Amino acid sequence: MNQVAEAPDIHQVIKETVGSPFTDKPKISTRNVDVFYDDKQAIFDVSLDIGNHEVIALIGPSGCGKSTYLRCLNRMNDTIQSCRVTGEFRLDEEDIYARGMDPVLLRARIGMVFQKPNPFPKSIYDNVAYGPKLHGLAGNRAELDEIVVSSLQKAGLYEEVKDRLNASGTGLSGGQQQRLCIARTIAVSPEVILMDEPASALDPIATATIEELIDELRQNYTIVIVTHSMQQAARVSQRTAYFHLGKLVEVGDTNQIFTNPQHQLTENYITGRFG
Amino acid sequence: MDTDLNLTPHISNRFNEELEEVRNLALNMGGLVEKQVSDGLKALLKAKSKLGEKVASSDYKVNAMEVDIDEQCTLILARRQPAASDLRLVISIIKTITDLERIGDEAEQLGIYAIKLADDNIKPSQFVELRHLGEHVKGMLHDALDAFARMDVDAALETIESSTILKEEYDAISRQLILQMMEDPRQIKNALRVHWCARSLERIGDHSENICEYVVYLVKGRDVRHVSLDEMKAELEI
Amino acid sequence: MSKQMNTTEQVRRSLKKRHRQEQRFILMGKLAVLSGFLFLAFLLADITIKAWPAFQQTWIQLDVAFDPQTLGVEAAADEAALKKGNYRGVLKKSLSAIFPDVSARRDKKALLKLISSGAEYQIRDTLLAAPEMLGTTQQMWVLADDDVDSFIKEPKLRELPQDDRRIKDNQVAWLAQLSEQGRIESQWNWAFLTSGDSREPEQAGIAGALRGTMLTILVVLAMSFPLGLAAAVYLEEFAPQNRWTDLIEINVNNLAAVPSIVFGLLGLAVFISFFGVPRSAPLVGGMVLTLMTLPTIIIASRASLKSVPPSIRDAALALGASKVQTVFQHVVPLAMPGILTGTIIGMAQALGETAPLLMIGMVAFIVDIPQGITDSATVLPVQIYLWADSPERAFMAKTSAAIIVLLLFLVTMNLLAVVLRKRFERKW
Ligand SMILES: Nc1ncnc2c1ncn2[C@@H]1O[C@H](COP(=O)(O)OP(=O)(O)O)[C@@H](O)[C@H]1O
Ligand SMILES: [Mg+2]
Repeated sequence: MNQVAEAPDIHQVIKETVGSPFTDKPKISTRNVDVFYDDKQAIFDVSLDIGNHEVIALIGPSGCGKSTYLRCLNRMNDTIQSCRVTGEFRLDEEDIYARGMDPVLLRARIGMVFQKPNPFPKSIYDNVAYGPKLHGLAGNRAELDEIVVSSLQKAGLYEEVKDRLNASGTGLSGGQQQRLCIARTIAVSPEVILMDEPASALDPIATATIEELIDELRQNYTIVIVTHSMQQAARVSQRTAYFHLGKLVEVGDTNQIFTNPQHQLTENYITGRFG
Repeated sequence: MDTDLNLTPHISNRFNEELEEVRNLALNMGGLVEKQVSDGLKALLKAKSKLGEKVASSDYKVNAMEVDIDEQCTLILARRQPAASDLRLVISIIKTITDLERIGDEAEQLGIYAIKLADDNIKPSQFVELRHLGEHVKGMLHDALDAFARMDVDAALETIESSTILKEEYDAISRQLILQMMEDPRQIKNALRVHWCARSLERIGDHSENICEYVVYLVKGRDVRHVSLDEMKAELEI
Repeated sequence: MSKQMNTTEQVRRSLKKRHRQEQRFILMGKLAVLSGFLFLAFLLADITIKAWPAFQQTWIQLDVAFDPQTLGVEAAADEAALKKGNYRGVLKKSLSAIFPDVSARRDKKALLKLISSGAEYQIRDTLLAAPEMLGTTQQMWVLADDDVDSFIKEPKLRELPQDDRRIKDNQVAWLAQLSEQGRIESQWNWAFLTSGDSREPEQAGIAGALRGTMLTILVVLAMSFPLGLAAAVYLEEFAPQNRWTDLIEINVNNLAAVPSIVFGLLGLAVFISFFGVPRSAPLVGGMVLTLMTLPTIIIASRASLKSVPPSIRDAALALGASKVQTVFQHVVPLAMPGILTGTIIGMAQALGETAPLLMIGMVAFIVDIPQGITDSATVLPVQIYLWADSPERAFMAKTSAAIIVLLLFLVTMNLLAVVLRKRFERKW
């Protein structure tokens, strides 16, 4: 609304990211990221490291660019014609936006779970088997079965669906669908999982299940989660990054961010004040 | 956020009001406790057993307030899930009122001893040492509550600093009372009573110091309990 | 409180008016549906009643003597010789046998007119099929002439003065006599469904046009579905969004609104004159109709592709599917019901077109049933148009009958669309 009027002001307030955006041996490191939709800049000079096997939460008001930043990491923004991304992105020292980097390969290494559960209108089995089949991860049917079962188990869904693997994935409850999507993602054995508000469409019980799952997945995967729920960020993540109008305002230890944030804007956001 | 506590209004007006309300209640409770301490001290030093009775019988008010504020804080935690400064405010209040309630208990003790000493016709002139200690403790409590009301870290640190003097005074009284007891074993009973009062006052000073530490936590987000003053200052970069 | 009461009171007062409005609208809606339904029922009833006579055909029984002498062939004639026989003479003799009194030349001619001109070919074909009949006499049913047919089916024709009738008084008397002898019979007219067109209404059938239509539709399907699908998928999923694609989109939409005869002209100029595709053939007809249906199919397919939730695309892409895999493994299958419906409706539309086909010569009079897409052919709507234009009274009924066949064809296609839709439809 009054974004235009506020813009110069905000550049004054957010001179640079406070807290600790950088880590030793990051899984993904991003530097000086700018993202534009046509002429409209959505991300301003964001530099952030994502540590190995950590859950990092991206929080901030709607439209502050969390999803945009997240989608840069697996190049999902490539599919948006008007979107232009600059800056440095590295996954284990490899340039994500290098010419030689195939988005298909990249997305096999960096999986993504979306806000709205989006299973394919196929059977539960086919949903999970799709990725491995696509990338030829299973040599034969038995191997594929094994991948499907273990992925469903890791996603904590197997017990609930083991008798109806051939039933449609869309017939599950919202929470189950979301876990199916997570199972589908981990079936490809990615190194990083991006989650864009994965529990925002779910009830508290389903949300708790997903959060529990995220905590378990941390053992094997690096997880970047965008969330609207501050409590959720506080519960599941080790680090939290606060975005505001396309800028990265503050990054820090989650415990510290939620008890004693350094930046006034962070404080205002997490305490629900006018910012 | 580096220098001062954030008091811009919340988006939820009701939340503003709720926080404001518990804060005011806590300050009221502080006022009441301060009055109890000062009355208890007065009863003791002026040998007024009536006033002592009043103090001893008013402690229930303090207790009731503690319960009330506790409940309100619990509701805020459940309903609002406060974070950052709001969270620290609620936590500080919960802790502060616990200390205030203890101070209330000590004031009650003062009242009770005031009655006992007055009834035994012990002249206050026999324990003038307490006057000094009492004034000092009263001052500390007042300063602590003031720092809490104004969220003034500097004042809180000053108050914490002044507690060393309190310790010294208490030690001096103790030594003096031991001397008295050795000189005149018949005075042991009264000397012990006086010592208990000194002990209560010293406890009140401790609780006041705690309140000051909560003020530091509330404003700075740092836990400065069980830390020496120099370390405290170093950490707060003052 | 009093204000609240007030509100309730006011709402209650306006409530009555609102309910009346609602009821009025529902009534109007019902009337609209009813009138539409009535029109349709009226139309169908009218056509069915008019078409009924076309499905009945009058036959006359003759004792046909395959006398070699009359035929002008030898007793042991071969097939080629038999073919050249004088079958009209045989018919004449058979008639004379029934009406020995008729002797005047003019009357004999009038007598012969009672039976269809196709009758001589009918008895010839019978004999050719069974040459051993040569020299024998067979009781045979032959087609009555269309005038006789009409006269028998429509009683009111009898009340007209002789000069206004095509069946004169003497013929009426002969018919009465034949009828008395049980030599006149009305039979289900299979020939209408199995034979090609003819100048003679009693021999004209719909099979040629039906086959032509099917061949044409096959050509349309084979060309427009892949083309339309490819164009729609490209435009919707792959083409960059810029001025060129906007321009193409506008043009596709405009094409859908171009009068169909223009496509006929185009087909004439490009396919026939330039590329030399045989005229009057289902191939060129199908090509022209493809041009006409393509925009419809493209628009319907694009709408259907657009309605596939983007989240499905995201899901596939995020798993590492390439763009093409995403589109063909997920998006297109999900859009298939819509695409198929669009295609079938587009083809049904094409099926009913006459104008563009007139331009490419499919209006020619064609007797043979087409065997391939390059044979000359006509299609149902054109056949209807041709018959509606013919002066013979019996063609009126044929026109209506052809309309019924066309309608049945369309209904079948639409049913197919519904079935396909139900079959492929998936929920998400
Ligand atoms: N496809 C798009 N085209 C144009 N602008 C977009 C697009 N997606 C997002 N934006 C803009 O970019 C900004 C950031 O959006 P987004 O990353 O979705 O925010 P968040 O996920 O934090 O709510 C918003 O101002 C939004 O309007
Ligand atoms: Mg978002």
